[in-house]
Amino acid sequence: MNLDWNVVWENRGLFLEGALVTVLLALASMALGIIGGLGLALARLSRHRVVSIPVALLVDVVRSTPVIMQIYWAYYVVPILTGLRLDALETGIITLAINVSAYNCEIFRAGIVSIRKGQWQAAMALGMGKARVLFEIILPQAIHRVIPALANIWVALFKNTSLVSTIAVADLTYVALTLRVETFRVLEILTAMAVLYWIMGYPQAKFADWLHKKFKVEE
Amino acid sequence: MTMDFSIIADHWGFIQRAYQMTLILSVLSIALGLSVGVAIGIARVYGPKLLDYALGFFVDTMRAIPVLVVLVWGYLAFPILAGIRMDPLTGATVALGLHLSAYVAETVRSGLTSIRRNQFNAAISLGMSPFQAVWYVVLPQALIRMIPPLGSFVIIAVKDSAIASVIAFPELLRASQTLVGQTFRPLEIYTTSMLLYLITLYPLARLFEYVYRRLAPRGAS
Repeated sequence: MNLDWNVVWENRGLFLEGALVTVLLALASMALGIIGGLGLALARLSRHRVVSIPVALLVDVVRSTPVIMQIYWAYYVVPILTGLRLDALETGIITLAINVSAYNCEIFRAGIVSIRKGQWQAAMALGMGKARVLFEIILPQAIHRVIPALANIWVALFKNTSLVSTIAVADLTYVALTLRVETFRVLEILTAMAVLYWIMGYPQAKFADWLHKKFKVEE
Repeated sequence: MTMDFSIIADHWGFIQRAYQMTLILSVLSIALGLSVGVAIGIARVYGPKLLDYALGFFVDTMRAIPVLVVLVWGYLAFPILAGIRMDPLTGATVALGLHLSAYVAETVRSGLTSIRRNQFNAAISLGMSPFQAVWYVVLPQALIRMIPPLGSFVIIAVKDSAIASVIAFPELLRASQTLVGQTFRPLEIYTTSMLLYLITLYPLARLFEYVYRRLAPRGAS
């Protein structure tokens, strides 16, 4: 077996571009997923069943199907259903964002519910309106509590971005799989890909562990 | 837009076989992931420090790398390194199973450490061997506490089996892609496979919730 690691160095520009796309994909879908998740959580906690039941249904469907399946469905079926044609990158970001929103919804919901009812009553007894209680009293505490869980979602999302390579979004995985075919240096290219993911992912996993220790809830 | 779901009936045998492949791959990778994960978890808690560091590195590496990357590296790159040949089922089982084992190991570890140390000490002072103390006293309580995370790992494992489509293992998603290539009916075919995942995983998730609710009081200490 003769190895030629030069092929990795020669293509460093492509690898780094792919890694950048991976990071941007994760950032964009997490940003959308936090807003979406919060919105879904509030809708799911709504007293009106016309709002809460469809949201609960959406969340369960998203959580009970594979992300990669959702990506295929979004890319090949949604355009037929809606007549809306998005490119692969947009499809990837939106699909990941919806997926993350569903998981974040459950996390935010648990966070909001975990704040004792007495705080609602106390704030309202002081004359605050419902919206003010939610945004100024309940949510700040709830968000503080769910930070470790959100960190887990982030790590999982960062890894899931690799799945959009299947619809030809030029992320790190796609770049590496393309280079593998072009250069025939399978072992070198794929090892470089795995190492790059490791360099990016390992500190994130460790940071998530640290957040779990730091934000441990003790009542 | 025209929908014609008779295409599903025409190819039902093919879809059914693919669905079975999904189940087979899921069961195999869960079996591997659980057994390796439990072994790693126990070894990290009760084994020597050096082993704990080495296994910790493996666990964190698996948690850092996407399962698709583990799969592609394990199936395409590793055989070159080791000079072996691997069929897609073996490759997918090993890659998905090892990836899963890291998460199982973390759960087992935190489950075991959540049972107070004094219970272990008490069992030893009653004359039990360390193995008996873990097996009969600590593990049964820890196992109940581990049900919710382990349940969600089972669900994740079934979902991750779809990623094996990338190495052409003929599970449900791969078979759907093949059918779409032949019939050009992505709407009907992908929707059907999506529904098959849904009707498999949704009841499973509810089942785990139910089992945990029934057993939870026994895990309290």
